[in-house]
Amino acid sequence: MSYYDIDEILTEAEKIPCTFQLDVPDLGYLDNNPSAPLKAGTDVSLPLWLAELLALPAQGTDDGRAFATIELPSPLSQEVFQALKADPRAVPLRDQSAHFYSLATRMLDLFDEKELTAVLRKTFAVRAGEIALHARKGVTGAGGGTAEDKASNLGVGGAGEEFLRGLDEWERRLFRKAHDGCKAGKEWMDGVKKH
Amino acid sequence: MALPLPPGLTHAEVAFLCEMELVTVVPRQRLESIKLLSGTTTPLRPPHRADLPLWLALLLKKQRRANIVPPPWLHPASLRDLIHRETKIDPEKFSAPPPPPARADRSRPGQSRGLYSSAVADSTAFSPPFLHSCTAAAPSGYLPYHWLEMAETLLSHAADDMPAPAGEIRGLVRDLVEVRAAKMRAGIGQAGILGGEDGGFLDLTGVGAVELAENRGFVLGVVDGVRKIGASAEASRREEEEMGGAEEEDDEDMGI
Repeated sequence: MSYYDIDEILTEAEKIPCTFQLDVPDLGYLDNNPSAPLKAGTDVSLPLWLAELLALPAQGTDDGRAFATIELPSPLSQEVFQALKADPRAVPLRDQSAHFYSLATRMLDLFDEKELTAVLRKTFAVRAGEIALHARKGVTGAGGGTAEDKASNLGVGGAGEEFLRGLDEWERRLFRKAHDGCKAGKEWMDGVKKH
Repeated sequence: MALPLPPGLTHAEVAFLCEMELVTVVPRQRLESIKLLSGTTTPLRPPHRADLPLWLALLLKKQRRANIVPPPWLHPASLRDLIHRETKIDPEKFSAPPPPPARADRSRPGQSRGLYSSAVADSTAFSPPFLHSCTAAAPSGYLPYHWLEMAETLLSHAADDMPAPAGEIRGLVRDLVEVRAAKMRAGIGQAGILGGEDGGFLDLTGVGAVELAENRGFVLGVVDGVRKIGASAEASRREEEEMGGAEEEDDEDMGI
């Protein structure tokens, strides 16, 4: 997690639904109303980096209340997690958020949800197995693999492509690693004869 | 970006290391022993068999000065047996690596002792890369660490020395590779689902060097992802443990 990690920066730009607990003067422009102060109870979507700071209990105030409360954003809604529980492979995570896991881990730091963590971990692991399968098929298929490989319905086209399009950034990186490994293996195997 | 190579050994490096493995050759010409950094080679006296490093054996094979005796585990029967064991008998684990060489123990009849155990710490004390797992004396039905590299190299350079048509053996080797790759995928998925708390782990005993090189990036990626997802839960668990640390210490004292 470096300061210059572009994925980290993009994750922090994801919008989080917040509800202000206090009246804040001069922040009305957040609610498209620059002339009036921001009323308590207003719902606004703020980027994660700002929402996180506002949601932490303010230091030094008498009641220790936070400026705003935050909720789980729509990519981490109950519906999405129900779908993931049913079949992790069927959900295109990228449609929810391009930085799904990254966002989820950041949010789980703030919300202590044991069940969500378990679902997330299972999702990641199950999809990882599928990713490895596609990565391997992609290599053997492209290099004129055996007839068995071509007959398989997990080729580059069709359902496979659909699944690969739904990968989030972490999974794309994982796919790349798995693919690089398989590709190196194939190249080496083809090159054994030459040396 | 200092070095664009991924961590760990690449396939070419692994294959290079494999060339130090000893293989059995049947020489066609006499050759005196050669003094090498790794020791002197056995002098070749046809038609007596001799164990040579793979690189030298390949060189002699290309010059038609020797024939290579493939290791017993490369025979089709052994490979079929391995595939059967990996798919039907024990579909969870990778087949075991060859057992360390043992010799009958005279002081205890019916028992054996390790050939290279610490008591016999003389010039024959080999560490695993130099165990004779690819010579004609190796046990069949066990895959050594460098099995895939050895099989591929022998199949492409010494195809005519194979006990069966090279195509048949190659097909069996490919089947074995696929079976084990699928096992690796399923295993890492299962380990990730269980997570750290419930003892989710992947047993890599018996996995070959090339397979490790191929899957290293992926497996490390999965492990890292699972770790990141569980990081906050882990942190809160540790905090709880620290809070209740005093009580637990008491319990441990009682236990001891």
